[in-house]
Amino acid sequence: MAKALPWFPLVSRILAAVAGGYAFAWGFTSLVIALSLQQGVDYDEARKLAYLLAFLVYLAVFLWAFSAQSLLRVWLVLGGGGAAMTAAALWLVQPT
Amino acid sequence: MFSSFRLSMTWVHTWFGLVLGYVLMACFFFGSLSVFDREIDRWAIPETRYEPQPMPSFDKLLLPIFKAIEPRQESYDEAQKEVHGPLPPREKMVAGEFGAYTTHRDPVLSMFSSFDVPNKPKNPNVDHVHVFGGVTIDPRDGTAISDDKLKIGSRFFYPLHYSLHLHWLDLGYWIVGFAALIMLVALVTGVVMHRKIFREFFTFRPKKQTQRSVLDLHNLTGVVALPFHFFFAFTGLVIFAGIYLPVTGPMFKAQAEAHEKIEEERTGLPHDPAGVAAPLASVDAMVVEARRRWAERDMAGEVGFLGVTHYGDANGYVSVYRAGTDRVTLTGQGIHFRASTGEVILEDPQPSTVAGIDDWLTGLHLQHFRHWLLRWFYVLGGLAGCVCIATGFIFFVEKRKRQHARSGSAGVRVVDALAVAAVTGMLVATVTMLVANRLLPPELPARGDWEERIFWLAWLLALLHAGWRSAPMARAQRSPAWRAQCLALAVLCVAAPLLNWITTGDHLFKTLSKGYWPVAGLDLVLLLSAGIAVLVARRLRHGEAAEGVEQENPEASHA
Repeated sequence: MAKALPWFPLVSRILAAVAGGYAFAWGFTSLVIALSLQQGVDYDEARKLAYLLAFLVYLAVFLWAFSAQSLLRVWLVLGGGGAAMTAAALWLVQPT
Repeated sequence: MFSSFRLSMTWVHTWFGLVLGYVLMACFFFGSLSVFDREIDRWAIPETRYEPQPMPSFDKLLLPIFKAIEPRQESYDEAQKEVHGPLPPREKMVAGEFGAYTTHRDPVLSMFSSFDVPNKPKNPNVDHVHVFGGVTIDPRDGTAISDDKLKIGSRFFYPLHYSLHLHWLDLGYWIVGFAALIMLVALVTGVVMHRKIFREFFTFRPKKQTQRSVLDLHNLTGVVALPFHFFFAFTGLVIFAGIYLPVTGPMFKAQAEAHEKIEEERTGLPHDPAGVAAPLASVDAMVVEARRRWAERDMAGEVGFLGVTHYGDANGYVSVYRAGTDRVTLTGQGIHFRASTGEVILEDPQPSTVAGIDDWLTGLHLQHFRHWLLRWFYVLGGLAGCVCIATGFIFFVEKRKRQHARSGSAGVRVVDALAVAAVTGMLVATVTMLVANRLLPPELPARGDWEERIFWLAWLLALLHAGWRSAPMARAQRSPAWRAQCLALAVLCVAAPLLNWITTGDHLFKTLSKGYWPVAGLDLVLLLSAGIAVLVARRLRHGEAAEGVEQENPEASHA
């Protein structure tokens, strides 16, 4: 850790891991619930299933955020992926 | 950003581990104490030092007490902030729900009432706000135990390990939740950093230089209890998942409401009161029936939780849950009765696969089972976690202290002072609270609040002391604060059992000969801790002498 790391990419990467990872976990949770509901799974059951997986997903993407080469890709996958999954979940459960 | 995968994982492990390590230290330590929270309660409230009691008669003993419970002022004020318009006057509120909870380790019974609030909540995602009231009684005769007496184990140390007692915006929960995620991260990155994981099971070289033996111990305690650490951080997150990922309100409100309707139809348990008054049949008869049904299913057991929902209403029902002393999974086997007639409405079915896994993980964390050896393994696992975190701090400091001393950086000096506060300071604060518990006048109003203030104050003083004594770190030498606080801890750990003897007469010979383990156990652990603290202080003094620090005898006893 002797040489100083440039601060902007570092802060951006930390934010991507923490906030982007959270957005991704949120999107993942929503999508698992929405897809399960589509399959006729009971809401409570769907929510429990999503919660059991969500933190493992958060853990995985958090670590990936630090190991990936391209910071832009990290932001796109985590922020964009989280938003896309959330939108997909909302679309799946919209009242028809 | 980093030249290799391993380096990036090392960076994450070092820096996130360092920053959140201070929080994790408290979570692991107070979590470990929570394994014996009921026993700590007995030590702290001497008038409750008698054997655990079964659920008493509801009809004769509990019902009149439930009816007399008033809404708690703080809960009333809290609810007022969350709703539109003024609440009905506090003394006019009528309880809609009762609950009584006990475990195989509880001589006392916790009772609570919930009062319905007619006002509309400000948060559109909440459908009801409730005001709560509660009382703790001696179930043998119904005498109330004053709220001024704090249950230090179950109401202070236990919530501290998941909420930090920081309730503004649930901030404590979020900090602990993030720390738990970082615990998982630290475990995975730790494994990535060290390839020779099998060898680390058996490697500890205490005679090597500090940096080496500290790292051995860090790896050993991390690896030996790796599944334990992972499970506790993970299940902690799952237990509070509803707080961390509150998707229901903003995204699935309609689905959640539909689910409640389906549940209501499936179970026959009314979600809302009917608004028609109805009497309450004998609850004791319902308890007899519930126990008969458990015995029939070959799961004879005691009542753990007894609840009345929609009390006094035609839709009212009584739920009797079994205490889960004989299995890991969180279990209820609840049997629900119509309150007005006593007929069975529903026997809880077996949980589905997902709910079963969820119950098992939650049960593994909350340990309602009766198994004393396993309970001690939980404590050892938690303390191994504490050693792992503490040695992480020390390794961080040892590795950098010479370089920082040369360059004049205050980095490790700050880290080390915070580590002193997080390790020995936390222990000093904990035992100071126990000492204060025995020294404060028994009838002091709001006695528990004073105990809490003394705890935080002691911790703050330990931090200030650590900062004040940190100067030798600037010369790459060890801070004498470690040793001084070890000695302070030793003194406190002897004082606590002595004060327990003086104020209650329950000395170790008496509690041991009677086999009263809740108090004997804590006294013995305190004395053992005093011994360890003295040994550590002696080793630290040798270390300091070897570093060429001048002897500072008078300072050793100032704390």
